[in-house]
Amino acid sequence: MAQAAEIGAPPARQWRQSTVFLYLRSLFALAIIWSLIALWVGNHVILPQPTSVAYELFRLVISGEMLVHAAVSLWRLVLSYALAALIGIPLGLLMGLWPWASDLLDPVVEILRPISGIAWIPLALFIFGVGNELPIFIITYVALFPFLLNTMAGVRTTDRTLIRAARTMGVDQRTIIRHVMIPSALPQILTGARIAGGAAWMSLVAAELIGAPSGLGFAIEWYRQLLMTPKVIAVIVVISLLGYLTDRLLRWLQRRLTPWSTGIGAGR
Amino acid sequence: MSTTRWPRYFILPVALIVLWQLWGMTLPARSRAPVPLDVLASAVELVASGRLPMAILQSLGRVGLGFLVAGAIALVLGLLMGFFRPVERNLDPIIESFRPVAPIALLPLAILWLGTGTPAAVFIVAYAAFFPMIVNTIAGVKGVERRLVQAAQTLGVPQLTILRTVVLPAALPSIFVGVRVAMGLAWMSIIAAELAVGSKGGGGGSGGVGEMMFVFYAYYIELDSIVVCMIAVGLVALAIDHGLRWLQRWLMPWAEQYR
Repeated sequence: MAQAAEIGAPPARQWRQSTVFLYLRSLFALAIIWSLIALWVGNHVILPQPTSVAYELFRLVISGEMLVHAAVSLWRLVLSYALAALIGIPLGLLMGLWPWASDLLDPVVEILRPISGIAWIPLALFIFGVGNELPIFIITYVALFPFLLNTMAGVRTTDRTLIRAARTMGVDQRTIIRHVMIPSALPQILTGARIAGGAAWMSLVAAELIGAPSGLGFAIEWYRQLLMTPKVIAVIVVISLLGYLTDRLLRWLQRRLTPWSTGIGAGR
Repeated sequence: MSTTRWPRYFILPVALIVLWQLWGMTLPARSRAPVPLDVLASAVELVASGRLPMAILQSLGRVGLGFLVAGAIALVLGLLMGFFRPVERNLDPIIESFRPVAPIALLPLAILWLGTGTPAAVFIVAYAAFFPMIVNTIAGVKGVERRLVQAAQTLGVPQLTILRTVVLPAALPSIFVGVRVAMGLAWMSIIAAELAVGSKGGGGGSGGVGEMMFVFYAYYIELDSIVVCMIAVGLVALAIDHGLRWLQRWLMPWAEQYR
C-alpha cells in the first residue's frame, strides 16, 4: 500500500487515497461476512469472531509472547537464508562460469531439486531431532536452489558483447567476472533471492509445525491443541504479515540495488 | 558437444552414491541409517507390494481434487477480475491479503474444521493452488491485445461472449504458467499436509505418501523406506512438470515464449 506513495506525482496521490479506501472497504466487508458466518456457526472454537481474534492478537503482542515466537522464527529464517545465499551464490557463479563445474554439479542439483524441502522433514527429524537444526536445515535446502539456479542463469546470460568489449580493452578475466559478469547477473540473483524468500517462509512454517519446540509454526499448532482458535488465527495473521513484509523488503532491495532492472517482478 | 560431455554427468552422482554405500558399510549392523543398497531393496519391496503406488495415487487424487476446485474458482474470478475493473478493485484487496498466508499455516484450522481426513488435505491443496492460478489468469487477461477486444466490441459481441471467445483463448498461455506453478505448489503442500496430519492428527491415519513417510518415521523407523518415498515424491514432481509442459506444447503450439 505504502509503495504507491513512491510514484509521487500529485494526481497519483489522489489515486493512492482511493486505493487505500478501496482496500479498507473490501476488508471491512470481509470482516462483516466473517462475523456473520461466525454468528451462524455459533461455536467459538470453530470460528471465533474477528473482534476476539483482534483482541487475542493485541494481548499476545502486549504480553511479548508473540515477539518471542516471531524472534525465534525470524532468527532461524535469517540464519538459514544467509547460509543458502553463502552456498548458493558462489556455487551458482562457479557453475555459470565454468562448464565443467556445471557438468559435474548440475546432475546432483537436478536430482535433488524436485524433492521438496518438506519431503525431507521425516528424515531430518530422525537426523536432527526436534529443535533448531531441523528448520534451519529445511529452510537452507529450500532457499538454496533459487539462489543457485538464478545466479547460474544470470551469469550465463551476460551480454557477450560486453565481455568481448572488456577483453578487447585488455581487462583480465578476474576483473571481467567482478565488474562485468556479476553486476550483469545481479538482477537475476535478486529475483532468486525473492523466490528463495517466499519458499523459505512457507517451509519455515511447515518445519516448525512438525519439528520445532518454538517459533510461530509451533505456536499455531500449540494453540490448536489447546483449542484456542482466536490465538491460532492471530498467529496466522502475524505469519502472513511477516511474510508479506519480507517480500516487500526484498522487492525494495531489488529496486535499490538494481534500479535499471525491469526484470520479473521488479515493480509491484 | 552433448556426446563428449555425457560421461561427466555421471561422475558426481555415482561417486556420491558409492561413497554413501561405503560409509554405510562402516556403520555397525544395528544402525538404522539408510544405505543405497537397502534403499533399493526397500524400493523394490514397496513398489512390488503395491503400497507405494497406492499411496501415491491417493495423494495424487487429493491433489487433483483440490486443484480442480481451486482452478474452477480461480479461472472464473480471474477472468472477471482481469476484464471488469470494478470487480478487480473490490476483490483484489481481499486476494492480496490472503496471498501471503502460507497454506501450511492454515493446516491447524483445516484440521479443526474438516478433521484429519481427505477434506483437510484437499482444502490445503486448493488454497495453495489458487493464488498462482488467479494471479496468472488476471495477468493473462490484462495482457490480451486491446484491439482484439475492441474489434469484437465493434462487431457488437456481448461482453461475456468476448470473455469466452476472445479473452480466454488469448490468455490461455499465461493461465497455463499459473497452472504449472500451482501444480508444483499443490504437490508440495499435499506432502506437508499429509505429514502434519499424520504427526498432529493423533494417529487417525488418512493415507497418502506424506502420511506413509510419517508412519515410517514414527512407528517403524524405516529410514530406507523414507528415502524411497522422498525419491518417489521427487519423481512424481518431475513427471507432473514434464506432463504439463508436454500438454502446453500440445494445446498451445503457438505460445513459444512461455516455455
